[in-house]
Formats: sequence, structure tokens, C-alpha cells
Amino acid sequence: MKKFKILAIIFVGLFLLTSMVGDSEDADKLVGVWEPSNKKIKVKIDKISGKYYGKIVWLREPIDPVTGKPKTDKNNPDESLKDVPLKGFRMLKDFVYSGNGEWSEGTIYDPQNGSTYSSVIKLKDENTLDIRGFIGLKTFGRTDVWKRLIMKNKK
Amino acid sequence: MNIKVLLFSFFLVPLLMVAQDEEDYSMYDDLEYADEGATTFASPKIIGLSPNRFINVAWDVQSPYTMNTSDTIGYLPDASWEIKESSNVNYTGGLRLNANIPIISRNNIVWQMGANYMNTNFSIDDADSSGDPILSELNRTSLSTTGLFTTVFKPLNDKQFLIFQGQADYNGNYTFTDFHSFGLTKYSAAVLWGKRPHDRLQWAIGASRTYRVGELNYVPIIMYNWTSKKEKWGTEILFPAKANGKYWMNKNSLIMFGYELEGGSYHLEGLSNNGNSFELRRGAVRPRIEWNRKLVGFFWLNAQLGTRINYGFTYDELENGKEFFRGFFGQQEIAAFSSLGTSLYGLVGISFVSL
Repeated sequence: MKKFKILAIIFVGLFLLTSMVGDSEDADKLVGVWEPSNKKIKVKIDKISGKYYGKIVWLREPIDPVTGKPKTDKNNPDESLKDVPLKGFRMLKDFVYSGNGEWSEGTIYDPQNGSTYSSVIKLKDENTLDIRGFIGLKTFGRTDVWKRLIMKNKK
Repeated sequence: MNIKVLLFSFFLVPLLMVAQDEEDYSMYDDLEYADEGATTFASPKIIGLSPNRFINVAWDVQSPYTMNTSDTIGYLPDASWEIKESSNVNYTGGLRLNANIPIISRNNIVWQMGANYMNTNFSIDDADSSGDPILSELNRTSLSTTGLFTTVFKPLNDKQFLIFQGQADYNGNYTFTDFHSFGLTKYSAAVLWGKRPHDRLQWAIGASRTYRVGELNYVPIIMYNWTSKKEKWGTEILFPAKANGKYWMNKNSLIMFGYELEGGSYHLEGLSNNGNSFELRRGAVRPRIEWNRKLVGFFWLNAQLGTRINYGFTYDELENGKEFFRGFFGQQEIAAFSSLGTSLYGLVGISFVSL
């Protein structure tokens, strides 16, 4: 009977451990470099202290045609952030894995108008994300398709 | 605390952070898709477009003006007519509600459904004592529009798109406890094909079935939305319905200047007999200046000041309520005429918007 109890505890422990590892593996599928459907930027998503953040790492047009200088976050409502370079700017913040290939509780920033929207991310397949930015209710929002990018010859 | 740990905290950690910020971004120049890239579709928006109103509540009011009305005897459209009654309209105004809800909003299609309600009350001097049934009816009741509409934006590729808009308006001097026949609902529609050459320009051409000038009409339409390189100036044109220039004072404040055509065909219950529908066809041009100002978050104030110039205020008797098309050249009789003096108007509203 004692042996059975020990075996049961080990079994439950292993089950919990493997599910946690599995969950963590699923959650980290978000990590990587992604490209929105407009192909104007590339965004690198990292895990930092258990949450997911994405920063702009590439711009198709890195130079502001008006100033002739590298683009900055000129539409940011915070005056002190208007000179921050867009390259390196963290536009996805605070995403938490909520299971079933979905990350929620995050925000997405649109540098074109300086607005920050609530956001959820859904992994459609290994290499495709549905990212929805919304205001208040999910109804008042828009979904974009992002595709995974990899280093060449890593396929 | 160990002095080495302190030194590490003060000097090394910031250094490490700087090192992290100085990432070599050139490594991202040459990436490839893990499987295949997403299809790029033309966005329904351009940079610097005025805020898209999801929900809007507004109040519209006009300054006093003179209303002249003919006898109800039937006239050819281009006939001259004599004034039977001339009255002062002390007050014209009412509530306007509009909701525009996205049903599907993805990069490959945007489908929105909306509802609107607009009410216009008239206060006409001596309307009852004049003995004129039209003045009395307008004074006694108010004109209401309750409508449902849908808009579909379908990008064909990264540059071209189609827009379809359909609307059903229930117009008349009804109240919510006294509805008239739903057979009198007015249907409008528009179809446009357009291009979005770059992030600051979109244009389109198309055709519409409209009641903007009161009567049913079919007109070509041109859309031209443009924003300057510095994202300050621009245009938002949907000709002939409206045309505006715009100037962004800053990211939270937008001035627009232009005009809008506004009108509709309204069933007047008290003047309708023998199964016919007596309809007021009213249309006005509203040149105005408009100020949009962010209040808080996604809530914006909308204020307009301008003039209301009468385009048409005529009356038709629709046999068995059946609509007809007179257009610019038709010779169907007009039951009666009114002419309205020009008035100032103001509108104040609050909107829940998306930028």
C-alpha cells in the first residue's frame, strides 16, 4: 500500500511537471521575430520576467522623409518620448500566456498615430499570429496577421 | 551589504543595459519567412484621417429663419409658385445618435454595421392660426430618421479596394409609440472602387443611390482622402455628399472646413390620404467649420459652426406610397413648395472613436 502511495505521488508529480513544461513550451512559441501583414516593420518578441514584449528591430523605411534622420516616435503623446528612435521601440508589452495558444492582458502601440490599444495574440499555427488591438471591448478593434521570420538557412 | 555588490549594482548593471540597447539590428536585415509571408492588403485608413466614430451623440440647432410655403395644388418642377404663407421658424434642432460597430475587422476585410437616429423639431410662429396644414403639421410633430446601415471594405490587393455601403432609413413624423408604415422605408446604397497609392492618399470612384438632396437620385461619387507629408494638412472628400479640408493643430486637435449635403424624404402622416404618402423632400447644403478635440482616451468632442443653405424643401404625393425617380430632368408634379431662408447652425457632439 505504501509503495502504491509513493508511486501515485511520483505519477502525479511527473504529470504536473510535464504539463508545466508543456505549457511553458507552448507559451514560448511567441518568442521570435515576426512581420505584420503590411511588411513595414519586423518585431522581435522576447520573454522578460514571465511576460512577453515585442520591439521593432527593422523598418522598411528607416529614414523620416521630412527630417532626413532616422525615424523617431514623433506621434507619442508623451512629449519626452517623441525623440526616441523607432528602431528598438517596444510596441508590444505585458502579454501573459493564458493557454490554448493565446496571450492576453497586453498592449500594442501604433507608432502611426501614437495610440496604445489593448491586445490579444492568438497563435494560428507555428508560424502565424492573429494580433487584435482593441479599445475597451474586443468588438472595437482590428485583427492583423503576423508571420514568423527566421535566419536564412534555418529551415 | 557587500561593497562589491553595491558597485556591481551601480556601475555594471547600467552598463549591461546599455550593451543590451546597442543591439546589432543589421542581423534582422536578412531574414526569411518560416513558411510564407502574409498577403498585404490595402488598409481602409490613411495617415492623418479624422477619427473614425464608433459611437456619436450630438445636438444640432439652427438660428431663426423665414419659411415661405405655397398652396398644395401641384406644380411642374420648374414652375414658379406664389407664397401662400410666410412664417418665422423660431427653433429648428434635435438629437443625433450614431453607432458604427465593426462586425469583422481583419486585414483582408472590414465589415461594419451601424444604426442612426436623428430628430428635428420645428417651432413655427402662428403655425396653427395660419390655417396652413403643412406649417401646422411641421409645428405639431417632429421629423425623425431611424436607420440601419452597413459598410464593407474589401481590399483586392495591397493597392486596390472596393467599398459597398447600404442604408435603410425609416423617415417621417412618427414617434416611437406611433409608427407609420414600414413600407415607406428609404433605401440608399453606394459602390466604390479605389486605390491607395501610399499611406497618405486614397481615392475612389463610384456611384450611389441617395436621398441627400431630399428626392431619390442616382449620382456618381468621388472619394479623395489625402494628407500632406508633414501630416498637418489634408482633404477628406466624398463628392458630392461632402468635401472638407483639414488641419491637424496637434495630435489631439483637428480643424476641418468644407461642406456637407444633408437631407432625406419624410412621410408626413397627417397630410397623407387615400393610401398615398405625402412626403417632405428636404435637402440642405451646410458649409461649416468643424473642430474635433480629444477629451480623454478615445473620447473626442466634435463642434460645428456653419450655415444651412436650403437646397430643396418640396412636397410630393406618392401614390400608394410608391417611390418614383424624378432626377434632374423628370417632369412629375410637385405637390407644394417651401423656401427656407438661410440660417446659422451649430452642432456639438461627443464621440467614442478609433484613430
